[in-house]
Amino acid sequence: MRLAWRNLIQERTRLALSVVGVALAILLILLLQGFLRGMFQQIAAYLEHSPGSVVVAQDGVVNLLGATSLLPQGAAEDVAAVEGVSSVVPILSQFVILDFHGKKQPAYLVGYDPAIGGGPWDMVEGSEPVADDEVVVDRVLAQRHDLGLGDRFQIMDREFTIVGLSQGTTSWMTSFLFIRKTAAEGLVRVPGATSFLLVSPEAGEDAQSLRLRLSGITGTQSLLKTEMIANDSKLFGKLFSAPIRLMAGIAFLVGTLVVGLVIYTATVERRREYGVLKAVGAPNRVLFGVVTLQALVASAAGSLGGVALAAGAASVIMRLRPQFLIILEPSAVGGAIAAGVGMALLAALLPARIVANLPPAEVFRR
Amino acid sequence: MLRLAIRNLFQSRARLVITAGGVALSLLLILTLDAIFQGVERQVSAYIDQSGADVFVAQQGVRNMHMASSSLPAAALGQVEAVPGVGSVTPILYVTNVVSIGDSRNVAYVIGLPDGAQAGGPARTVAGRGLPRPGEAIIDRSIALKAGVGLGDEVKILGRAFTVAGLTTGMVNLVSSVAFISMEDFRQARAGSDAVSFLLVRARDGVPPADLAARIEDQVGGVTAQTTAEFAAGERRVIRDMSTDLLAIMNLVGMLIGLAVMALTTYTASLGRRAEYGVLKALGARNADLRLTVVFQAMLSVALGFTAGLALTFLLAALVPLTGANLLLLVKSDSLVKVGVISLVIAGASAVLPVVQIGRLDPAQVFRGGLGR
Repeated sequence: MRLAWRNLIQERTRLALSVVGVALAILLILLLQGFLRGMFQQIAAYLEHSPGSVVVAQDGVVNLLGATSLLPQGAAEDVAAVEGVSSVVPILSQFVILDFHGKKQPAYLVGYDPAIGGGPWDMVEGSEPVADDEVVVDRVLAQRHDLGLGDRFQIMDREFTIVGLSQGTTSWMTSFLFIRKTAAEGLVRVPGATSFLLVSPEAGEDAQSLRLRLSGITGTQSLLKTEMIANDSKLFGKLFSAPIRLMAGIAFLVGTLVVGLVIYTATVERRREYGVLKAVGAPNRVLFGVVTLQALVASAAGSLGGVALAAGAASVIMRLRPQFLIILEPSAVGGAIAAGVGMALLAALLPARIVANLPPAEVFRR
Repeated sequence: MLRLAIRNLFQSRARLVITAGGVALSLLLILTLDAIFQGVERQVSAYIDQSGADVFVAQQGVRNMHMASSSLPAAALGQVEAVPGVGSVTPILYVTNVVSIGDSRNVAYVIGLPDGAQAGGPARTVAGRGLPRPGEAIIDRSIALKAGVGLGDEVKILGRAFTVAGLTTGMVNLVSSVAFISMEDFRQARAGSDAVSFLLVRARDGVPPADLAARIEDQVGGVTAQTTAEFAAGERRVIRDMSTDLLAIMNLVGMLIGLAVMALTTYTASLGRRAEYGVLKALGARNADLRLTVVFQAMLSVALGFTAGLALTFLLAALVPLTGANLLLLVKSDSLVKVGVISLVIAGASAVLPVVQIGRLDPAQVFRGGLGR
């Protein structure tokens, strides 16, 4: 133990550089996972805060954000007539691409009736739209594009005035915009069109049984809100999980190499000392232990540093770029530390081989 | 001195592999992320690029197809056809929806095509028909293969049942594909409105698409007309504008990792050679020469890492499609230039510590035995 510690701290700059290397690799892994987790929370925000526990969509559509839904005419009335339904909130939603001073900004447009609900849940300034040329935009989106109350901008072929700012309605990919449902119908040129119905069950009515009762309505598909959130997460997870896993894998390899280099160099430099230890009877497992311990200490320090760096970096990124939400979950931190241990064990393999192959007698020949 | 740098570098193969490997992996992080977004950009405009149209006409203010909606009145078709220089006009209907095959649901751009469409149909049909008849759908081969269906099987689109009449390729991306049905079926499924989403215009021979697009916007009210190249560039810009900040953050982390690896390896290598540098100093070598040796060594390591990183990225780009993921990795020259510049920064910065150390080296100490190990 003392030998491992002495070997490790003898060259402090080298140790510090290796700890920084591992910390940066762990930082990258944690940031990537934090982005993904934050993105899942951001894309679920609308459904989590909107009324109802069952969502009625066009037949075949199981996502809020993945596909455009258009319900058959009369679907809202059919749903309202089903036993156990307390309220039905219709929305007309659609992705739009806004052009702000030459930048393309995707936004998810929600057309709703302010008297019924389905709009922004946390207004920080202004009011909800009362006319068909009024819009509520996310505060972060407004800040990013220097917009404020009273400013006008174009959505498709119409001009809208910002009358309110909402919060908790943005992500790095897209932001929510809220206009009156009649305004949205005018934009897509389909009068009376509805994308989704947000259905609340009566008191004492189970959402799952209501969903089953709603499933008989032709041309529609009913899902629990939780199912739809899971489907959206799955869809976006499909988009991002492969690249993120790839990047995290590369970061893991880099961390392993960094620890490996330090332990390898320290072992090669101390080859004679290990030889002496072998010559005086130290078994290979003791020497393996010394090498592995050095790797574990270096990577543990790097992992802890990486967790601290990730927390600091996440807070800086979210302050400078508030559209990013980075959530560092305890499970991800645990995973990162486990990755650090994995790096150490892998990194110790090569030095352990050197020690194992060391002929003790050679020490005395030099 | 350059020979000394090369000798230092190649003396310990394991150290060289770790150095070049570490730098290669750090650069791979940057190159891969760039390649993924470049691939997504290419995939996202695949339908437009292969549409065969010269000009896309959309609802006024609509400059994108992906994540967008456009609705033009039926009368716009005749008005655009009447514009001088227009060869043909193909109206299409478009919505992002779902192709349901059994229990699997696949997000797809659903395109409604008229009879005898001259543009906007599938560019590469690998089986069956290229244009759908009523009741038929043409879907992407990779979606069909994954779900285990083929020609003659049934799929559900817009909540209706269709028979697969053709299989296409080359228009799929990580999350969605393109499916074609007849305009008649599309209209029936979407409440029977006679509006169309886009008009795909072919110019007469010799008419420049940019001139034609400007003429259409002048002569037809309530539309936005863009050349196919502009329209596709707009699609790619959505991805680029969306990912700029994310790429910047990840590039910075990748660069810092590369820097840490290089600084560590250059420092370790110089540390091991401290006694030799001391001897050289004692023999009259100037600090500048020794520093040049270290910098050259760092440059050489980074060059090796850069080459290995590039090779790894190309290898990854070749292997990823074999896994069945519709992920395209595209390495472009601007990405290579960026990574080249980052490599130079890494090499230069990593040499700082050893350079300072060499400057402080006392040659006399060599003879006192204070530097050797």
